[in-house]
Amino acid sequence: MKRFINNVVAAFVVAIIGVSLAVISYGTINAKECFDINKESVESNTNTRAFVCFEHDAHNEKASIESCDRCHHVYNEKGVLVDGESSEDQSCAECHAGGASTKSGDSKVLDIDLAAKYHKLCRDCHLTEKKGPVACVECHKK
Amino acid sequence: MHDLYSFFTGPFAWLTFIVFIGGSVWRFSSLWQLAQKKDGHVFEYMDTKFALRSIAHWLVPFGSRSMKLNPAMTVVTFLFHICLFITPIFVFGHVILWKENFNISWFTLPNAVADVMTFIVIASCIFFLWRRITLPEVKYLTTPSDFVILFIVAAPFITGFWVYHQFAGSAFMTIIHIISGEVMLMAIPFTKLFHMFLFPFTRGYIGSEFGGVRMAKDW
Repeated sequence: MKRFINNVVAAFVVAIIGVSLAVISYGTINAKECFDINKESVESNTNTRAFVCFEHDAHNEKASIESCDRCHHVYNEKGVLVDGESSEDQSCAECHAGGASTKSGDSKVLDIDLAAKYHKLCRDCHLTEKKGPVACVECHKK
Repeated sequence: MHDLYSFFTGPFAWLTFIVFIGGSVWRFSSLWQLAQKKDGHVFEYMDTKFALRSIAHWLVPFGSRSMKLNPAMTVVTFLFHICLFITPIFVFGHVILWKENFNISWFTLPNAVADVMTFIVIASCIFFLWRRITLPEVKYLTTPSDFVILFIVAAPFITGFWVYHQFAGSAFMTIIHIISGEVMLMAIPFTKLFHMFLFPFTRGYIGSEFGGVRMAKDW
């Protein structure tokens, strides 16, 4: 009897561990690595559209983008694109949105400024390549 | 999808602005010339005070006898016209496009408010449709073009509502939404929709004639 109970408990523990492992691994495999755009302030804003999960690595693999500067571009003082230089170590707002992102200020103004830049960066490339989403709803899924 | 998007947000959008502004200028000047040729007295009797007095009464809800006699129509038409203008100008999804394309932006409506206002426009159009079909005095004055105009005005709001709520096929519906807005703008100079620019003049003249000639109220 004691052995039977031990077996049941053991089976139960194994089952729990097994299910947990399955859930964790499923979650890990399916977890989206979102690169959020100032997520906090956007979500507290009742005027904007649904949060967009940009899956950086998945996107670049699908679009066969090798060089970072395709998106993380650098412009010089004259506003000319600098070839071969990239800016992935900087936040977009360091140059865009008046370069004022690091200061906590009028976040809504910065949000619309930055959102406009993101939209143009994504959509302009998608239109040129004739691939990828262009309509609002294709990214901002509820 | 990409070619359609590029075309209707690019060349066709510019054509829309040209037709809307150019067409409106043309309509104004041709009506002006027609009035000078056939209705010279319009210019003689036009009176700023009587004109403004009449316009003011007709711009205030229940400011005229006609509005008091038709309270349902008064409430619907005021809500309709307010929502018709405010919603597309101040909805976030449009303001962001101004920001992207012309680097200007302004106050935006909360989503829930814009949603309700869109619904008001659609519901009002259904009310106007019902009115044209059932009320004898309205039916008598109705021509097929009135139904077309009603559809042209309702379409951007129906498609906008569709896209915002992400109903089936909303990506393609975005293109239809863009086209429907452009069709509406282009229709303004050439249809009854031109009353958006003309109403101060028609109302102003009636007010002037009633005030200065008949010595009576026109509201």
